[in-house]
Order: sequence, then structure tokens, then C-alpha cells
Amino acid sequence: MDVNNLGVGSGIYLDNNATTRIDPKVIEAMMPYFETYYGNASSQHGFGVPVEKAIKKAREQVADFLGAKYPDEIIFTSCASESDNTVLWSSLWTQKDKDEIVTTKVEHPAIIDTCSFLADRGVKVKYLSANSVGDFDEEEFKSLLSDKTALASIMWANNETGNIYPVPRFAEIAKERGIMFHTDAVQAVGKIPINLQETKIDLLSMSGHKIHAPKGIGALYVRRGTRFLPFLHGGHQERGRRAGTENVPYIVGLGVACELAKSHLEELNTRVRALRDKLEQGIVNTIPEVIVTGDKTHRTPNTLNVAFKFVEGEAILLMLNEYGIAASSGSACSSESLEPSHVMQAMGIPFSAAHGTIRFSLSRFTTEEEIDKTLAVLPAIIERLRQLSPYWNVNKPQVKQADHLFDPDSQEVRA
Amino acid sequence: MWDYSDKVKDHFLHPRNARVMEDANAVGDVGSIICGDALRLMLKINPVTQVIEDASFQTYGCGSAIASSSALTEMIIGKTVEEAEKITNQQIADYLGGLPPEKMHCSVMGREALDAAIANYHGKSYEQSHDDGEIVCHCFGVGINKIKKAVWENHLTTVEEVTNYTKAGGGCMSCHMRIEEIIDEVWVDLERCGVPRPGHAPTPIPSIKIKTVSSNAQASFDSATENSPFKAEILKILADVQGGLPAGSKVELVAIEDHNVKVKLQGEIAQGMMREMTLSFVEKKLVALDDKFKVVGV
Ligand SMILES: Cc1ncc(COP(=O)(O)O)c(C=O)c1O
Ligand code: FES
Repeated sequence: MDVNNLGVGSGIYLDNNATTRIDPKVIEAMMPYFETYYGNASSQHGFGVPVEKAIKKAREQVADFLGAKYPDEIIFTSCASESDNTVLWSSLWTQKDKDEIVTTKVEHPAIIDTCSFLADRGVKVKYLSANSVGDFDEEEFKSLLSDKTALASIMWANNETGNIYPVPRFAEIAKERGIMFHTDAVQAVGKIPINLQETKIDLLSMSGHKIHAPKGIGALYVRRGTRFLPFLHGGHQERGRRAGTENVPYIVGLGVACELAKSHLEELNTRVRALRDKLEQGIVNTIPEVIVTGDKTHRTPNTLNVAFKFVEGEAILLMLNEYGIAASSGSACSSESLEPSHVMQAMGIPFSAAHGTIRFSLSRFTTEEEIDKTLAVLPAIIERLRQLSPYWNVNKPQVKQADHLFDPDSQEVRA
Repeated sequence: MWDYSDKVKDHFLHPRNARVMEDANAVGDVGSIICGDALRLMLKINPVTQVIEDASFQTYGCGSAIASSSALTEMIIGKTVEEAEKITNQQIADYLGGLPPEKMHCSVMGREALDAAIANYHGKSYEQSHDDGEIVCHCFGVGINKIKKAVWENHLTTVEEVTNYTKAGGGCMSCHMRIEEIIDEVWVDLERCGVPRPGHAPTPIPSIKIKTVSSNAQASFDSATENSPFKAEILKILADVQGGLPAGSKVELVAIEDHNVKVKLQGEIAQGMMREMTLSFVEKKLVALDDKFKVVGV
């Protein structure tokens, strides 16, 4: 096993909230649109016809998966980030008398960073705070809305903790006040049942690569009757709502991935959930001083986020990688930024734990054997790193000469 | 994933000297749980020969923090305190076959732990041995002295590099302007020492500026001023300041009375906010010479 090239070996992939393995059935469905059906859907000749049909079918598959009333409510985009950006800009452009956006502190950067970009340019952004398990308060949400609010945007499920938010309820509240409502549902689709017709949600973003389609394809749901301006201007593709010649193979792939996701939804909530719970129990029972972060009662069935106190996340990931196990961390060191994840900070997770958070995210391809293997190596890894950590003093001799104590709860910084 | 050298991985997966040394006679604690890394370095120094006979560590942090600590212990065992003090953070990084630029602060932390341990050996407390100076980055509690040292030793030229080495600037970013100023300040000195600043137009040679000013300012001073031991240096500082003033503005020495320095401002800097800023700027420069200095405009 080459630990720098786990994809080709027998690597254990527990990082499905970052991206997922492309389902072989998806690849199979896509291939003809590289090789045979390379026409342009807009062409007035026989090369275009099958392509146009394929896009139509994919649109129906996505609409069906999301419970949209009409297939034309689905716009194909290049990724969920594009869908998110489109929504933020469109809501401001189409409502010139409104200049406020209400969102949350735990959104994905596709929303949060775009909002701070807009805030630097005069848009007023209000952030809903999260409590210690990462949930929101309905009353606080209400208090942030005003007649200046152009858009309320709340993610359906959080990528780090897996928390599922009562988005249909928030959409109702916004609608009562005539406020446009968007949800970034990238981490919710395929994990919880979604039926947009039954909700008041106006706009929804999703991404292909989180549901076993390839990277670089996403979708934006725009309910009929919602004010909308395109983000990309040019040709008249997607009914003039998103220019650019359609990425046909990927659109076909997304359609099939949605159909598969629908048929595997049950499995996610039974078999995969049981594996996640097994992993969680195994960790909590064998490793002291761990915190399961997030709201245990409202979580996507595939996600487990655990903070291992007194050790640092990147070090854990490196050791796991040595055993061929892939997960991710909210620690500062494993990202480009020097601070722990904004989600952990918003939840007020103490620093002694925030730097040691590891997210395990499973998928329908995860097997029980993989979970067992992970549980077999994890306790020893944490123990090893704690043996190195000056914040962990259980069963360790003490240095006599030391004039200072490493206190995990201290705010002190020694440079 | 970080692109770590094989040596970094080796030291991370098989750390050398990772244990608590109960009878250490030098202990250096640095870092913090807030910043995400902390290190305790423990040494056994022979009081007669000053040789570091044993070294061990305890580290909380990422792979490269653990590897840097491990490398440091290997590098210093067998050296005298005096020899060990000469080790730079770059040498720690080199020993490990290089560190990714974003991880250079791990080697800096190793270096600091060594300083702290040696101070502890000499019976100094962390506070006594440590002068952070003005705190520049509040997010990571980084003082000006650490930034200056990192810029000076590693010839850093950008805020990004300073962040990689010291973490300063890696949070809210509100300190970036100040860090830029500090980089400039250090480079003025580096250039004086003959280090060319990459991609930078060389600053004009200061002696030329002094000439122009002193020829204009043929002022004669009272005897207290003439006899002040600081006169030459104050004139030089004022000439430096003069060099950075807008055209038509002038700063002139009027008198030195003990530590009170009277100066006269002319041109657009003589009024309002510019006046305040110029006076406090001059005072800051003088205080660097001796912290009793006060500057008054006349
Ligand atoms: C909640 C959430 N929103 C948006 C995105 C971005 O999706 P994409 O990579 O398709 O732009 C992600 C993926 O990381 C996500 O988890
Ligand atoms: S003060 Fe330096 S990054 Fe915030």
C-alpha cells in the first residue's frame, strides 16, 4: 500500500463529505456522451437531438430526486459554489430596494466568503449564531429579518458536524414576511428525504460530487415565480438563466447519480447509519476525553465529528493515513488557515478540543470491515500522540525543574 | 495533504527523545493550546562542561511540530550550550530536509524552546528572559521582537512569509499593515548590512540626506544643546525623518535640554494632525535611543 496514493490500493475512504467515489454506473452512463454523442444540444441537426434528449432526462431525474414540481426549475451549474454565488448576487440584483442578507455562522465558505466579499462592498450581512451543539434559535432568526432583507440563506445540513437544520420551517418564516429563501443542501441531498414541493424553499443548491457523480457539476433549483437574473451571461442555454454550452456527460452523470441516490436513501438511513453509530460508540467506549460535536439527535446518517482532546488533528490524520485511512480535520494545521474551523469556533468548542477534531464521513460504499479496521487502530494512535503531548499528564512523571504548567484551559500564549 | 519530506515523516512517526525527563535541569515551555502547538523541551546540562548531555521533548501539534522537536533534540545532544545557541530555525528545517513554507513556524517554535530552556537553566523565569515588545498580532499574541527576528534571520519580505514563520497575521489580518511596516524597518537595517532586498528599489543612501539637511541647517545651538551627548545622533535621526517628509516641509532642531528635545516644524507638517503625527513619529525614533526622551514642537 502506497500511503501517498491510496485510491489505487485498499485505502479506507471515510471522507465522503469532502467528495465521494464516482459510482461505476454513473461513469458507464456518461461514457457515450464523450465518445458518441458529442453534439451540441442547441444544434439544428441530428447530432444535437440525442444530446438534447439526454439533458432533458437528466433534468427530470434531478427534479424528481428533489421533489421539484417542474423540471424547468432545475438549472445545471458547474458546482454548488456557482449555485450559491448565483443566488446571492441574483437576490440583490432583482430587489434593488433591499440590501441585507441573513445567513448563519456555520455556512460553507461558498456562502460565508461570498457574503463577506459582498459585505465589503456595502451589503449588510447578518449572521445567525449557533449554540454549543451547532443549532440555531428560531426567534433569533426572526429578529434578523427585516423589510430590507433580500435573501435568507440557511444550509440544510452542515458539512462538518452533519447537523440537519429545520430548513422547511425557516423557509416558512421567511415566506410569511415575503423574503426570498435559499438553502445550501449540498450535504443534505441523498442523506435525508427532500420534497421541495411541500416546502416554501425558493432556491436550493446541490453538488454532484457529494452524491457519487463527478466533480464540476452542480444544480440550482429555482422555484417558478422566483425573481432571477443569471450569474453567467452569454448564450441562451438553460432558458437564458445560465450561459455556456452544456457539460453534457456530467449532466447525464448527475441525473443518474440522483436516481441512484434516491434508491439508496433508505440504505443510508439504516445500514450506513448503523456503521456510523458503531464507529461513534467504538470511539467513545475505548478512548477517554473525546467529545462528539454537533447535535446527536439531528445529524446526517453518515457523519461523525469527534474532538480528541489534547492532541492535534493533523497529526491524527497523518497517522491514520499511515494505515490507509482517510478522514478530515477541522484543526488549523490541516487547512491553509491558521485558525481552527469557523464551525467549531461558532459552536464555542474549547481550543483544547477544536484543534483535535476529526470528521469521519461514510457513504454507501463503506463496509463494516472498514469501520472495524478503523476502530482497531484509532485508540493506539490517540494514545501515542497523547504520550507526546505536554497537555496530557495521565501516568506521566513530572519534571521537577519546570516553573510553568501546560494548562489546556489557559488563554496564555508563550512565544 | 502537506508535502512532507521523508525525514519529517520519519521523525513524526518515530520521534526521537520523546519522553518526560524528570531530572532535567533546563526546561523550556513555549506555544499554547490556542495557537494549536506547544512544546516542552527538557535538557540535562553538565554544569561543569556546559555540555547538553541529554535532551527530550513533549509536543502538542501537527506532524511538522513533532518532527521539528524531535530533530532539535538530536541536533543539540552533545553540543555545549554556547554551540547550541547558535542553531537557527533554518538549520532545524534543513536537518529535516526542508519544511513546507506554511510550516516554518514549527522550526521557529523549536528555536524558541531552546532559548527558553537555556534561560531557565540560568535561573531566569520566562517573563524575565522574554521581551515580546509591542504585541503586533493579537490573534496569535505575537510581539514585535519575534517578527523582527524572523525577518532578520530568514530575510523575509512579505506578510505571508511572516505568517508562515511566526503565525502573526494568520487570523483577522488586521495587523498586516503593521507587519509590512516592521518588514520595511528590518530591511532598512539588512540593507545597511549589505543584504540586497529582492525586488526592491534600494533606499537612498542616508549620508546624502544628512548632507543636504546639515548644509541648510547652519543653526548655532545653545551650549546645553552643543554639549548634549545625544546631539549628533538626534541630528542624524531628524535628517532621516526629513528625508521622508513631503516637499516644502522641514523639521529642525531648536534645543536639547536634558531629555527634552525642542524641534521646529515648517510647511504642511506644521499644522493640525500632520503636526501631531510628525512629532510623535520623531519621539518614537528618539525613544528607541533612550526611553526618557520627550519631543516638543515650538
Ligand atoms: C455545504 C457545502 N456547500 C457547498 C460546497 C461546495 O460545493 P462545490 O465543490 O460543488 O462547489 C460544499 C462542498 O465542500 C459543501 O459541503
Ligand atoms: S491581529 Fe494578527 S491576525 Fe489578527
